[in-house]
Amino acid sequence: MTARAFFCASLLISLCAPPIAHAGNLVRQESSAQESGKQEAWQQEFDAVCSKTTDAMSLSIDELKSLIQRCDTLEPKIEKLDDTRRKVYLRRLKQCRGLYAYVLESKNNDKK
Amino acid sequence: MHRRSWLVAVFLFLSLMPVSAQTGGKKRRALPYEFGRVTISTYSERASMSPVVFDHWFHRSMFSCRVCHVDVGFAMKPGASNIKAADNAKGYFCGACHNGRMISEGRTVFAACSKTAKEEDVARCDRCHSSGKPVVMEHDFNQFAKSMPRERFGNGIDWQRAEELGLIHPSDFVPGLSIKRKNLRVENDFSLNAKVAGMPDIIFSHRKHTAWNGCELCHPEIFVGVKKGATKYSMATIFEGNSCGACHTTVAFPLTDCQRCHMKAVQP
Repeated sequence: MTARAFFCASLLISLCAPPIAHAGNLVRQESSAQESGKQEAWQQEFDAVCSKTTDAMSLSIDELKSLIQRCDTLEPKIEKLDDTRRKVYLRRLKQCRGLYAYVLESKNNDKK
Repeated sequence: MHRRSWLVAVFLFLSLMPVSAQTGGKKRRALPYEFGRVTISTYSERASMSPVVFDHWFHRSMFSCRVCHVDVGFAMKPGASNIKAADNAKGYFCGACHNGRMISEGRTVFAACSKTAKEEDVARCDRCHSSGKPVVMEHDFNQFAKSMPRERFGNGIDWQRAEELGLIHPSDFVPGLSIKRKNLRVENDFSLNAKVAGMPDIIFSHRKHTAWNGCELCHPEIFVGVKKGATKYSMATIFEGNSCGACHTTVAFPLTDCQRCHMKAVQP
């Protein structure tokens, strides 16, 4: 019984503890940059599109073209944001679009 | 008339002297604790604040290059991010971590700029806006460097070895800004021919570079060409801060450490 209670308490503590960042020792107290809580639609799309940079090399030509297209659709939406978010996210979008275009060009060269 | 022109010549000589002194001469090599230091004065002085002195060594000991230069959005060149106090106050750029809530190594990270700074906040402002002020830094470089593997140039610290030994754990995630992504597939290392006879070829390690930089920090902003050999690199352009020089003249081990790159044994 005591062991069971101990197990339950440990489980509760681990579930309630603040999430720890991946590799380092940063602990999230509360979301800093996105204090509004719920993610806006453009942000969801941004995260979805730019989360594939780590496996860009394994994406097909069609997948890369589609991601570039989605980046281009996203750009005018980010242009309309306030000055701060525009600065941060336009740079980030440029970097992830640039990488997809770079890999696409590389794959097209390999085909020739 | 002759005397007047002589006086004009002396005046011109004296007035131009400081300029030639600034542009000419040998550049002083940065001391280990200064290497990578960035002074940012985009808007500070206009707001009657001292420029920000950013110690790169301290931040790189805790974060990957990618997380700051991709996720947080810091440009690779000082001043190019166009950071304003309002950006920090909203939780972006420095304010992404310096928000008075983030906890690092068991301590709360002090807040960067706030919209309503009061007189009692001056000491906190001075922690970053410290150029020209006798501010004692909380983190002592020499103390930190004592326990780190040594390197001949730059900071005098072998950062790569420090990570391998588990002495530093650079985080690749900032809550609120970073995106959860799959682990990076590492591309193969490759060699590049040295252009000078007798100079060992370069072994470029994708593994070493992608671990801290990801892909999008270097491609295509720093390394434009897709096809191997299509873009011509030279030591002259690298010393000017292009390609490898984007990091290896400023923050990573400097170009004077030749054999860190030119490491392939010369074939007899």
